[in-house]
Amino acid sequence: MKNEYIPHPAVIESVQTESFDTKTFKIAFEKKALAESFDYKPGQFVQVSLLGVGEAPISIASCPGRKGFLELTIRAAGKLTRAIHQREPGDKIHLRGPYGNSFPFEEVAGKGLYFIAGGIGLPPLRGLIKSALYGRGNFGKIKILYGAKTPDELCFKEELKTWKQMDNTEVYLTVDEPNQSWQGDVGVVTKLWDKANMTTSDGIAYVCGPPIMIKFVVMNLLKSGFKDENIYITLERYMKCGIGKCGHCNIGEKFVCTDGPVFSYAQLKEFPDKEKTIT
Amino acid sequence: MTDTTDRIVLTTCPYCGCGCGLHLRSDDGMIIGSYPSKNHPVSKGALCVKGWNAYEFVNKADRLKVPLIKTNRAFREVSWDNALDTISRKLLEIKEKYGPDALGFLSSAKATNEENFLMMKLSRAVFNTNNVDHCARLCHASTVVGLASTFGSGAMTNSINEFEEADLFLITGSDTTEQHPLIGSRIINAVNDKSAGLIVVDPRRIELAKYATIYMTQNNGTDVAWINGMMNIIIKEDLYDKGYVEERVENFDELKKVVEEYTPEYVRKITGIPKDLLIQAARLYAKSKKAMIVYSMGITQHTTGVDNVQSLANLAMLTAHVGFASTGVNPLRGQNNVQGACDVGALPNVFSGYQKVTDDAVREKFRKLWKVDVLPSKPGLTVTEIIHRAHEGKLKGLYIMGENPVISDPDSNHVRESLEKLEFLAINEIFPSDTAQYADVILPAASFAEKDGTFTNTERRIQKIRKAIEPVGQAKPDWEILCEIAQRCGYKGMKYNHPSEIMDEIAELTPIYAGINYGRLEPFGLQWPCPSKDHPGTVYLHKGKFTKGKGTFMPCAYIAADELPDDEYDFVLSTGRIYWHWHTGTMTRRTSTLDREVPSGYVEINPADAEKLLVRNGDKVKVLSRRGQIETRAMVTTKVKEGSVFIPFHFSEAAANVLTNPAVDPVAKIPEYKICAVKVEKI
Amino acid sequence: MKEHLLKKDNVKALCIKASEQWETYVPAEVTGADVHFMRLNRNNKDSILEQLNLDYESLVVPPKVILYPQLESLFEFQDENITETVKPPVKKLLFGLRACDVKAILFMDEFFRRSFEDIYYLNKSRDKLLVIIGCKQPLDNCFCTSAKTGPFLETGFDLQLVDIGADYLVEIGSEKGEEFINSYREFFDEASKDNIEIAKIVKRDAEKAVSLKVDFEEAIKKFCEDKVPQQIYETIAERCIYCGGCLYVCPTCTCFNVFDTQSAGSGARYRNWDACVFGGYTREASGHNPRSEKWIRTSRRYEHKMKYDYLTTGMSGCVGCGRCLASCPVNIGISQIIEEVTES
Repeated sequence: MKNEYIPHPAVIESVQTESFDTKTFKIAFEKKALAESFDYKPGQFVQVSLLGVGEAPISIASCPGRKGFLELTIRAAGKLTRAIHQREPGDKIHLRGPYGNSFPFEEVAGKGLYFIAGGIGLPPLRGLIKSALYGRGNFGKIKILYGAKTPDELCFKEELKTWKQMDNTEVYLTVDEPNQSWQGDVGVVTKLWDKANMTTSDGIAYVCGPPIMIKFVVMNLLKSGFKDENIYITLERYMKCGIGKCGHCNIGEKFVCTDGPVFSYAQLKEFPDKEKTIT
Repeated sequence: MTDTTDRIVLTTCPYCGCGCGLHLRSDDGMIIGSYPSKNHPVSKGALCVKGWNAYEFVNKADRLKVPLIKTNRAFREVSWDNALDTISRKLLEIKEKYGPDALGFLSSAKATNEENFLMMKLSRAVFNTNNVDHCARLCHASTVVGLASTFGSGAMTNSINEFEEADLFLITGSDTTEQHPLIGSRIINAVNDKSAGLIVVDPRRIELAKYATIYMTQNNGTDVAWINGMMNIIIKEDLYDKGYVEERVENFDELKKVVEEYTPEYVRKITGIPKDLLIQAARLYAKSKKAMIVYSMGITQHTTGVDNVQSLANLAMLTAHVGFASTGVNPLRGQNNVQGACDVGALPNVFSGYQKVTDDAVREKFRKLWKVDVLPSKPGLTVTEIIHRAHEGKLKGLYIMGENPVISDPDSNHVRESLEKLEFLAINEIFPSDTAQYADVILPAASFAEKDGTFTNTERRIQKIRKAIEPVGQAKPDWEILCEIAQRCGYKGMKYNHPSEIMDEIAELTPIYAGINYGRLEPFGLQWPCPSKDHPGTVYLHKGKFTKGKGTFMPCAYIAADELPDDEYDFVLSTGRIYWHWHTGTMTRRTSTLDREVPSGYVEINPADAEKLLVRNGDKVKVLSRRGQIETRAMVTTKVKEGSVFIPFHFSEAAANVLTNPAVDPVAKIPEYKICAVKVEKI
Repeated sequence: MKEHLLKKDNVKALCIKASEQWETYVPAEVTGADVHFMRLNRNNKDSILEQLNLDYESLVVPPKVILYPQLESLFEFQDENITETVKPPVKKLLFGLRACDVKAILFMDEFFRRSFEDIYYLNKSRDKLLVIIGCKQPLDNCFCTSAKTGPFLETGFDLQLVDIGADYLVEIGSEKGEEFINSYREFFDEASKDNIEIAKIVKRDAEKAVSLKVDFEEAIKKFCEDKVPQQIYETIAERCIYCGGCLYVCPTCTCFNVFDTQSAGSGARYRNWDACVFGGYTREASGHNPRSEKWIRTSRRYEHKMKYDYLTTGMSGCVGCGRCLASCPVNIGISQIIEEVTES
């Protein structure tokens, strides 16, 4: 029987600063064989450990097409993530996974893909965005709506520019509090709705961000013609095991770590209101 | 068949004075669980969250395991011989050079009775000084003095299970559900299931207030006023027990004279309590047959702490609420063994059993058994005085057992300076605490799970703790350490094979413990007074007569607190405890569940005040007093009144005691933790 | 399968013999007269068996502690190198369980096997023999007949003993149970017709002796249809003192916390029992808490047992053992909620 709780040693290969409290870590497993064979799907997460400090779930932000490494975009919010931020390239870290379900991808070939993210909500979608852009021809229109509190807090600033250049791909950005040099839109991400022309009947939406943002985005998506079963939201919860045992991420009879973290709006509607999944 | 041992021992919870019976399970030398004892009279199959998680801190990786000596500001590991020799040598040197009173000994309300007894024996028999004290000074010193003068005995009069049969509770200065959960729960049950009445008097809206028949909130530090006010009404309306007062209590005329001034209107002016509420409360308390007064730090931790306690005692005697089942004056002792530490004499003015050091006959009795030439006759220094003396450079050496004065004493900056000025500091500890950082020698001590001994809980129940596993690393039980030091100082009278022998010695010297031995303590202990070997222990005190014969009314006039808010420091700061953590946090902040529930400190602030300061819930704020300042987070809540803030003292990085006022009660020498003036600024 | 007879006088000898092949746990009295399941080992088997108490009224903590201890090491580490601490599988004999606790163990077996296998639990639980000694004297808090979890079971056990006086009638519930009897044949006799008849009466009397009866099925229905008034949860949430006891003692509760401890690069990762009524149970690092209100956590606590476990497994998470009420300092128990829900 496999011991699911034992994490594997890995090394931080590089660190990229995204904003004042967010960094992207490129990590590779120490064991070459594991590094090469480690496979995952966009939407999944890994349990990241610093031995002696703790373990937390982090969504995989890299795209599975590129083997040998993972990218994790981490905001320094708690004890563990703050400690990870102190680490530098060459330092050791431990990972286990991948866990969770994934975004529907191959099944939505030919459809228009709509990504709506807020702040630290973009990294979980990034792997899917990049996979879609690599296989550009397989999908219809791709629209990315992304908002953050300040221009500094936008993740993947350079990549956003690259994505904008791609064929049949639109990128709309907005911030709550602009600075002097900000030229773009101001306001919450739903303000971009009309500009981005979000009306569709069979488009697939992927949403990730703070709970309050998800609530309003979903309202808009429904008004714009998106079907319940075509809206996908990735949920965040406090997790300890990642494998449906410790109980912390349970909602109703489901576990966010094994039945999710990706849920369709059709599924989320069935959850009890008091669990506040989309409020 | 396996070789590894799977054991369960019955022991006593190491946290609060409830003294719940707890089973520790160990497997292969590691503690793996703690469960309530079903048949134990206090726990009855239940525990609070701290007791349920008492297994965890024992295993923590940063337990002190090896003796340490500081050289050039860094600690290095040394052998036990080296460490013990160093301590003995340095303490003797200081005694030689500066005299015995240049030494101080801080005993521990967390350690066992046997260990506290040995600490005071070490201080007196070996080093010839009465400068031995412990943290009871900081919590119930007022109780010990106040109830001794009124009743003759400073302990909780009734027992925990008697709460279940009470008609009425008068709770003041005790956030019972937070601090003594298994007593708080009994109050909740009695009020909800048995229609017991509840009067809560507290400046903060404590949890129990939601069940209160009458909830009164008084201005901080005005307790003598409202208690005198209640007595004024009770006397005026002829609701007091004339027969009882005449037969059993003296000095009634003096009391009547003093409380005459405290009319409801006068009391309202001082305390803010509405007249009709006070009248209702007085009538309800007087008319209830089985009425229990319950109090804790809100009454004791004042410059008028003794007055506050005496006033409550007066009120209870006036209405014949002492010396009967489910009545009494019930100070809830905080630490697991603070009652015991007092009982066995880890106090500067008494030996065990509250026998005065100034009494020649008492001294002779101890001198003979301890086989020393002389014992010191002058009362020694209290904890607060020891720190001051150290600051003045007059106290040179200090030996601390299981206490953390840097976090628990008032005016932390002053404490830190004082410790730095010492020539020598040694400490027995289980974790590297803030105070341990100042030590010259640190000795790794065994935790409650790793030794035998006894604790005495708040209802005077002396009960055993039983060893579940061997001490981690090279740690030793405190009693063994103290014996080693005594021997190395040339004293031959501290050699014991087992703590039971120490208890036998305590029993020989201490009338209230005279009937105690380990055999008789099976399984759930005995309540003192237990004056002989066939005495079954005492459930409630002062039956028929007070410990000193007749009780004495000790009427007090209202005196305001030492430092009240002014234009610059415009908030009243009160400090205290919360349910999830314990005192300086050395154990609970190393317990995963408790640490997760409340990971960091905060300051409670009223919404109206928060709005004026533009502070929202969770915002970083600075709190400043004349002693120092701390940075912490705001918790906006209606639990505190406008103009008041509250900070729990468990968090060393936002230590409430950096701010507190070291002013003390003139007799009990207990600091005024409950009131000082602060200002709050948004960061 | 045939019934057998085990003389009460033979029980201790049987346990000692069996403990040579099986890691054997028996209920024994400890100081203070509480009963706990204790492991027989070389040093203490005699002293434990001296305190053997098969007639115990109830255990404060359920036998889940044997398979799923309150604190357990997941692994140790030294300078970033991990050493596994999970122990290899060992066959266990749990002798003297009550029916409700066996139901709970089967429930936990399924839980720890579901989706990902939990090696720590399964290594302990994989190869075990469950021997029930049915309750003769249920407590006031118990409602096993309402929850259909006792005082005797029809299936799910390996051996079930019925106390018929000087002996136990032994019912075989599985092949493993039959093998066990064969391996220790010298301790068992054949049961007579009289023995079997008496056993039937004993079982019937035990059922009648369960005084607390609740409409369990109706309660499950109400929970599944979300017909539980919020007021019930609010009242409980206000009275609760958040000790966690009801969840710690529940024989089907499995939630745990995970924490690391280290000093100078060396330490370990542990897991320990957790409780869903605590605020921090769902609080995220950002401070956001999807169950910030107390009544929501209380509702979760009861719905987990009476609704979600039922929907997932077909069996309610509550086995009617009454421990939650027994360990609650403020007298809250699931039986009361069931009564309130079915009365309203």
